[in-house]
Amino acid sequence: MTNSQGRAPRPARSTRRQAAGRAVAALVIASLLSSTAYAQSVDLSQWSPEYIRSIAGTEEFDTAGHCASVVPLDYEGRLTYWWTGPTEASPQIEHQINEEFWAAWAETYPNIETDAQNIDYNQLLDRLRTTLLGNAGPMVVRLQILGGVEFASKGYFQELAPEDIGYPTADFWPGAMKSVTWQGTTYGVPTNNETMALIWNADIFERAGLDPESPPATWDDLVAYSKQIHDELGISGYGLVARQNAGNTPFRFMPQLWAYGGGALDEAEENPTYETVQLNSEGAVAALQAAYDMYVRDKSVPTSALTNTQNENQAPFIAGQLAMMIAHPSEYAKMVDLAGLATGADKEIADTVVENMRYGLIPEGPERRAVVFGGSNMHFVQPDYVEGGFDEQAAKAFACFWNSPEWSTKLAWTGSNPGNLAGFKTQWMKERLDTIKFLDVTTSMLPSGIPFPVIPEATEIMNIIVPDMLQNALTERMSVEEAAADAAAKVESLLGGGL
Amino acid sequence: MSIATGRAAGPSTSQAASRASGILGRVIAHRTDYLYVLPALIVMLVVIAFPIYYTIELSFFRTPPNLQMRDKIWTGLDNYVTVLRSPVFHEVTINTIIWTVASTLVAFLLGLGAALSLHREFVGRGVMRALLLIPYVVSAVAASYVWKWLYHSDFGVIGAIAVQLGLTSEPINFLDNRQTVLASLIVVNIWKEFSFAMVMLMAGLQTVPEQLLRAAQVDGASAWNRFWHVTFPHLRGVSMVTVLLLMVANFNSFIIPFVMTGGGPADASHIWITHIYQLAFGRQQWGVASAYAVILFIVMMTLGYFYVKALTRGDENRAGG
Amino acid sequence: MATISETAIRPVVRKPIDWWRWAGRFFLTFLLLFTVLPMAWMVLTSVKSQFAAMQYPPQWWPTEPTLNNYFKLLDPRNRIGQEFLRYFWNSFYVSLLTTILGVVVAVPAAYAFSRFRFPGRNFLFFAVLVRNMFPAVVFLMPLFLLMRWMGLVNTHGSLILTYLTFGLPLSIWLLKGFYDNIPIQLEQAARIDGATRFQAFLFIVMPLSTPGIIATSIFSFIGAWNEYVYAYTFLSRDHQMTLPVGIQRFFTEFATDWPGLMAATFMMSVPVVVLFLVLQKYFVRALTEGAVKH
Repeated sequence: MTNSQGRAPRPARSTRRQAAGRAVAALVIASLLSSTAYAQSVDLSQWSPEYIRSIAGTEEFDTAGHCASVVPLDYEGRLTYWWTGPTEASPQIEHQINEEFWAAWAETYPNIETDAQNIDYNQLLDRLRTTLLGNAGPMVVRLQILGGVEFASKGYFQELAPEDIGYPTADFWPGAMKSVTWQGTTYGVPTNNETMALIWNADIFERAGLDPESPPATWDDLVAYSKQIHDELGISGYGLVARQNAGNTPFRFMPQLWAYGGGALDEAEENPTYETVQLNSEGAVAALQAAYDMYVRDKSVPTSALTNTQNENQAPFIAGQLAMMIAHPSEYAKMVDLAGLATGADKEIADTVVENMRYGLIPEGPERRAVVFGGSNMHFVQPDYVEGGFDEQAAKAFACFWNSPEWSTKLAWTGSNPGNLAGFKTQWMKERLDTIKFLDVTTSMLPSGIPFPVIPEATEIMNIIVPDMLQNALTERMSVEEAAADAAAKVESLLGGGL
Repeated sequence: MSIATGRAAGPSTSQAASRASGILGRVIAHRTDYLYVLPALIVMLVVIAFPIYYTIELSFFRTPPNLQMRDKIWTGLDNYVTVLRSPVFHEVTINTIIWTVASTLVAFLLGLGAALSLHREFVGRGVMRALLLIPYVVSAVAASYVWKWLYHSDFGVIGAIAVQLGLTSEPINFLDNRQTVLASLIVVNIWKEFSFAMVMLMAGLQTVPEQLLRAAQVDGASAWNRFWHVTFPHLRGVSMVTVLLLMVANFNSFIIPFVMTGGGPADASHIWITHIYQLAFGRQQWGVASAYAVILFIVMMTLGYFYVKALTRGDENRAGG
Repeated sequence: MATISETAIRPVVRKPIDWWRWAGRFFLTFLLLFTVLPMAWMVLTSVKSQFAAMQYPPQWWPTEPTLNNYFKLLDPRNRIGQEFLRYFWNSFYVSLLTTILGVVVAVPAAYAFSRFRFPGRNFLFFAVLVRNMFPAVVFLMPLFLLMRWMGLVNTHGSLILTYLTFGLPLSIWLLKGFYDNIPIQLEQAARIDGATRFQAFLFIVMPLSTPGIIATSIFSFIGAWNEYVYAYTFLSRDHQMTLPVGIQRFFTEFATDWPGLMAATFMMSVPVVVLFLVLQKYFVRALTEGAVKH
């Protein structure tokens, strides 16, 4: 068991002084750190691509050895688990790692009978809701960051902190810990932290007369770039999405809204209270106006944005029909896969796209640079709601194994960052930094991450009210101001306990 | 005369019993009859009775987001008021009516036309009928995906054809447009079900007596008059049934709008069913969704009264044997 | 209308151009295009590569047609193939059981509604028919709780039980029409020869109603094969999924593979379409004899 070796407190004070100069990042970090200012194995105040490179591979971890101290390896039991794993659209390597994980798990705890269900992203929330109402839930579930609080507030989840599975809370991003805290109680462990970034096709930029190597610096630039691309080449500039679904729309629109200084509530503020509605604020209206300009005025984004979710943007991007979108670094791995499979003329198109794919920071707005602090958390379901009863030891063993520095890193291989920050020190992180392109960008977006409001109503606000607001404005059913006011009123009445 | 009179008990005993103790006696006398329908009834009862009870019960309670179903709060008729007063209810109701009536009407007319055109023997008639019937058996999910792809605002083939033919300068925006989305979905629905009307009416056409048509022909009646005065009256019964079956199916159809647009953009393709689903599963407002469902039941029961009347029509005169 | 004029006109006059007939032909051509073109485009898309599908204006004819999407789905050696074939089998199994149970339950009920005059007959007949008035979606939640209570959640049993009730009303109604048309004298003759009522039903009436049973079976099978909403809610285990829900895996969080989806859609439609085409004469006959004839 070597896991606690690196836990020696770092000289936090001096580094913090150094960091004072790093304007944006430090500010946000300070806010993230505000509640939990104690020692960490990874020093968040130094967060930068260089720092990450410098710590990668500095420590070794023995996953089985550590978990044995939490639950003996010969424990006999039963586990049911739901999560959203690799799908048909995931890069091959994700599938491979997934298989390796289950093999390693079976080897480490051979006597825990495991029933794991990989459930589609768009179906997981609906399905969990239904099964919990029918007391037929799984023991352990991994949910996207937006989903957990709704269930926790209804009393579906057990109290669960990293300490319960042998890890210090300090090893997790404070912002991520906040997302698993409801009314002062921790009910989950962050499995991975993800921040997206802007992906663009340099070849299209060049042909449209833009600098191929630099992304739009501000959201206003993005609107202008999108128009120029559409005017010059007749293809879509920016991959806007505006349909209600399980989270793709807010993940792409909220960064813009926050950048202009808006918010759903005050989640972008330093110490959010989640009490004031800001969807009708000036910033929110400006962001909505920008979306309106792209969709209605310039027609520079896919017309299908209103019926499509993000999933429909990847294909046009690969085919060179879309210039920019907000996406994961895993898109790169996926595109390399696809290019490998393509033949003939397709091969040429695919290779060009892969070669010209660039990844950069999400544009800034007048107020800030922002990105959704995303990711997933692992939760234990209350025994009453579990089909066949809850096996605490099995659940703990599993959570320990999954969230170990090793697997936390590997399971986030192409798409995001390990929830367990100790993962950044592993040799696997080093390997990952060496093989996955663009990882730097997402890691450097992390400090700009803003978590969705941690209130039970968050899913409805983000997945229904915000997309509705976009749709109302983009279809010109309402004016931009009316749409914003309408959405704000809906949030207001929702928070008031009304309908 | 029913076969029941020929049962082991004998007609006289059974009639005597029914006279003696009224309904109960008749029930007892016919007790073995019930065995035949029992399995069907049990299945139906289980799958209908509880859900109806549960839906009605829930419609009087409220379940805010942070409450579990078991902590529901009694609110009387509040949920009904909420539904009826909700700003989108009006629009969604109009959508529902347009969706149901337009789908039914057009599907019926296309089916009628197809049935009349196919009634006559010609080479390839069987193949033709089979081809026209395929959409009816293809799943709604499959149909929705196929049409979503056909309509696709950026890569859709229909839009592209229109541009190629010079009909429009830009691809037509079918689904991402509040004005056209409902009509576009109705087309898909019609595509899927017009052939049901076609088969029903083809069956109906076989009941039209040939001699009558010939007689009308000899009397010099025009084609239209022959259709209107001879053929159509014979189709009236089957038309009623067809229209009602289509109407019920359309009123209840969920998959096409759900898969293709999810009720969007901006509620323009929401119909009652998709709206109920969104309230219940998207927004966790089980109470309001249940009240909505109860309102829908009431409408359906009214429609159902006519439906069953049409289905059992002629049953009584036929029943005598 | 073409029908009428055609059959009637032939012996009398030949000279005038038969507008009705031409209108009928034109109309049929239109309908045929309306029906077939979407399916044709589905097939054409399914043999394109993902790149080829994402072109505007589209490739009207695939320049490099490929059957890769089909190989992928049907190859039991790779993961997608395994899953797809598993969904396929699940759909088949659920639909088949639904159909068999449907016949077992519907036949006696329809027979009783047709022949017997027990009290409450009309009410019960009404009760059975009324099932179709209720939209599936509205019952999702309560039925889920019910299935849970019966211990059927996450079993195919929950789907079979539910699907049974979709098919029953129409089956019972159609079969009843069939029995109404079978002369009662046949049974009476058998009874005189010493058969019991049940024997008469089993050996005389059942064989005569085979076309009706086949037709209603097609109905149930297709209904069960295509059902989506309940399958989506009742089953949470991947290996239990049926096809309509399973093919949604092509619509995932980040990417949509249109050609792959079209290929899956095509494969999903093949069994029911083939089944239907083979048995369609029964289907049409059942509607004619069961639903229409008075």
